[in-house]
Amino acid sequence: MKSKFALVLVSVIVIFSVLLAACQQPAATTTPTAAASNPDTIIIGTTDKIASLDPADAYSTHDWEIIKNISDGLLNWKPGTTELVPDLATDMGTISSDGLIYTFTLKDGIKLGDGTPVDATMYAAQLNRLLTIGPTCPNDVADSLAVPYVKSITAPDAKTMVFTLTTPIAYFPQILATAPYTMSDPKIFTADACNLFPTAPIYGTGAWFVSQYNADQQMVLEPNPNYTGNLPAQVKQIIVRFYSDPNTMALAVQSGEIDIAWRLLSPDQLTTLKSVSGLTIGTINGGSIRFLVLNHQMDPMTDPNVVKAIASAVDRNEISDTVFGGQVTPLYSAVPPGFLGANQAFDTMYSAPNIDGAKKFLEASGYSTTKPLAVTLWYPPEHYGASTAAWMQVIKKELEATGEMTVTLQAQEWSTYVTALTGGKSYPAGVLGWFFDYPDSSNYLDPFVYNRGEGTNVTTATTGSLTGTPINDKAKQLVDLLTQADIETDQTKRASLYDQAQTLYADLVVTLPLFFESEHVVYRSNISGNSADAYPESLNIGPNVLFYYSELKKSQ
Amino acid sequence: MQPIALLALIIGIPAALLLAYVFVRGSTGLRRYILTRIGLTIPIVLILGSLVFFIMHVLPGDPVTSALGPKGTPEMIQSIRQELGLNDPLIVQYGRFLLNMVTFHFGNSLVGGHRPIIDEMSERFPATVELIVPASILALLLGVFGGALSASKRKKAPDFVLRIYAVVIYSLPIFWFGLVLQLIFGVYLHWLPISGRIDPIIGTTLKTFTNIYTIDALISGNWPALGSVLVHLILPVATLGLIQSGLFMRMTRINVIETMQEDFIRAARARGIKERVLTYGHALKNAMIPVITLIGLQVAILLAGAVLTETVFSWPGMGSYLVERISARDYNAVQSVITVFAMLVALISLAVDVIYSLVDPRVRY
Repeated sequence: MKSKFALVLVSVIVIFSVLLAACQQPAATTTPTAAASNPDTIIIGTTDKIASLDPADAYSTHDWEIIKNISDGLLNWKPGTTELVPDLATDMGTISSDGLIYTFTLKDGIKLGDGTPVDATMYAAQLNRLLTIGPTCPNDVADSLAVPYVKSITAPDAKTMVFTLTTPIAYFPQILATAPYTMSDPKIFTADACNLFPTAPIYGTGAWFVSQYNADQQMVLEPNPNYTGNLPAQVKQIIVRFYSDPNTMALAVQSGEIDIAWRLLSPDQLTTLKSVSGLTIGTINGGSIRFLVLNHQMDPMTDPNVVKAIASAVDRNEISDTVFGGQVTPLYSAVPPGFLGANQAFDTMYSAPNIDGAKKFLEASGYSTTKPLAVTLWYPPEHYGASTAAWMQVIKKELEATGEMTVTLQAQEWSTYVTALTGGKSYPAGVLGWFFDYPDSSNYLDPFVYNRGEGTNVTTATTGSLTGTPINDKAKQLVDLLTQADIETDQTKRASLYDQAQTLYADLVVTLPLFFESEHVVYRSNISGNSADAYPESLNIGPNVLFYYSELKKSQ
Repeated sequence: MQPIALLALIIGIPAALLLAYVFVRGSTGLRRYILTRIGLTIPIVLILGSLVFFIMHVLPGDPVTSALGPKGTPEMIQSIRQELGLNDPLIVQYGRFLLNMVTFHFGNSLVGGHRPIIDEMSERFPATVELIVPASILALLLGVFGGALSASKRKKAPDFVLRIYAVVIYSLPIFWFGLVLQLIFGVYLHWLPISGRIDPIIGTTLKTFTNIYTIDALISGNWPALGSVLVHLILPVATLGLIQSGLFMRMTRINVIETMQEDFIRAARARGIKERVLTYGHALKNAMIPVITLIGLQVAILLAGAVLTETVFSWPGMGSYLVERISARDYNAVQSVITVFAMLVALISLAVDVIYSLVDPRVRY
């Protein structure tokens, strides 16, 4: 009997030892497997999914990344920067004196990947899809980046393209560099229909073409044999592998199944991967920001003292340190650092955390420890990551540290939440995230001010008006500054206008910027970027958060 | 031909032939029973699909706003809702849903590229079949033979070990067990791949017909691809199969023990028949009836387990598809997946009942 008991005991101990061992931190080494050992192929893992590959429709970061790698536009961002350079155009083009007409000349010898020559007529016809069928496509990028700005796109001759705008906008060249304005294959993307998931091969004018695509599994890109641009492919094959779980992707880069893990790993996974030898983590100060939307037409946010008290009490460093282990950067303006005219307006104005300052604002409106202000903050529990609840708790604690505020946190599932918050009728305050469409300060300010401003309600929606009607004098001044900046082509003057606008934005507390999330790319030691371009340590992914696969090299 | 249609033919033709054989050769009672069960399957699927339809529409949230996020203007949202028919009265949407179900059209997805759901399921369903079939076989083999061994060695060391195994393995959370296997065999030992269905590079050489990669690799004679597919199957199949094996093991053990106490076993033992033959040749066969019943019931649990297994292993099957689409409030996709799952469970239950009558001649319908 004793021997049986011993056998059972030993069995149990062995099973649990194995399981417990598996729960320990992974070994700090990696051994390359098939993916890592093939020098001709680079495998990139991502948790993003493809929603559309039609340039007239696609409106997500990863779709744009693929489109920008398989096709070029008239202008492009220099790798790793937000500096625009000519791509399919010979130069940066000319602008009419009224700022309404942009004219570009095409380079010679442009061809699609299958050898089809490209001229201005063909290119203009493809871009006109944005204005014709674009608004009927499911993801509808056209109604955000084409229809409001572009009146017509014409080709007076085979080399010249002319864009006539509805209103002068200084940042139009930035919009022109986005994926919707790339040259697409008219045989695949016809004039009369959106084609979200064309059958491979998918050719453009870019350095790569899509040779295979298995939905939700992998996409294979190979070098475009007819590419004439400045960024030719350095390897024979790129495979983009799609993951449903970021944990699995983290393990895959660690085990060598993939060479690069790109978007989106959590702070916990990054912390684990940092200790793994043979892996490098590149950090990109990207464009994803988090902030509180304060509804200026709903109590108690209608009171300027209340929103200023909240702005004074929130300690962004505490959020960064306690919840994210320092992996997010506190944000003190609606415009993140590095963008035109970015300043630290909220820090200058409120020196947060400033509990005494917050109390003064609250007391000016009659609140006290015996008559505290009741605030409800809403958030989506999953959409911005599981940590959202944790940093909302930090904000609650900070606001309640004034002794004159009681905060109730309310979670709501994303699809209900986003409608309610940005509709501006249901929630007094809530969390929102934002990622730019084009790397320009206007894209961080205009959407939150114009036409109800995503629920901030500093303007009211007005039919036929791009900006809407401001709710008070300060809001009117802000709208005036932003509209001036929108059309100002002198970058120094534009920077000054944005500087003033951010100060006014902070005074109004249109939104309360909290932090911006860096993007992270994790790659194995035999992968490198292009040292001649900016940010080789993050594989040349810079503030424009655009991954140029042609910059990638792989050693044995 | 759609891979899912091809798959339906591959599975459906032999199944239909078998059913026809049983139908023709079976008793009148069995024929009546089969017809009744097929008849009952229709309202079962209909009721389940309708329940899912109304639950999904009662849940807060909207697929269009969820997909567009803060960048969706009210005009854009309205326009897309109109196009997708989401502004129609609920009863009209329900009618359309029923029509789609009856015609196996399933409609289009409400998110992403608004692709036909039949296309998306064509890509996903074969992956799930490729996962759950070997997982079921593993669970069954391990469970049945482990249970029989446990029963034959009752109150001896192997019995204790197998009983502990059965309890422990069945109580493990499936996602945690999958992660542990990934860490041990993928990250520490580098023996096995931890995600996907095939090596990314070898995958580029595989021509697909059915989207069941093992079959596709065999059809095209692509042996490196076959090897890669089999290796990629090991961890997810082990995760799903081992956990399911616990229940089969316990069920088989108790039934074999009971059968071993029957008179016919005692008589056989008295005739000098070897204990191994008694256990595996006589007792096990007679103990299989409740186990076969369990197989039918376990299909639903297996599909639920596949949801978690597919997520952990980034396995692009119906389970991970269901999870993605529930969070995106893609009504059409969720309804379609549940309908397919319901049909699958109903048909396998029917198959189990038919097999019942073949295995046990005493069973009469």
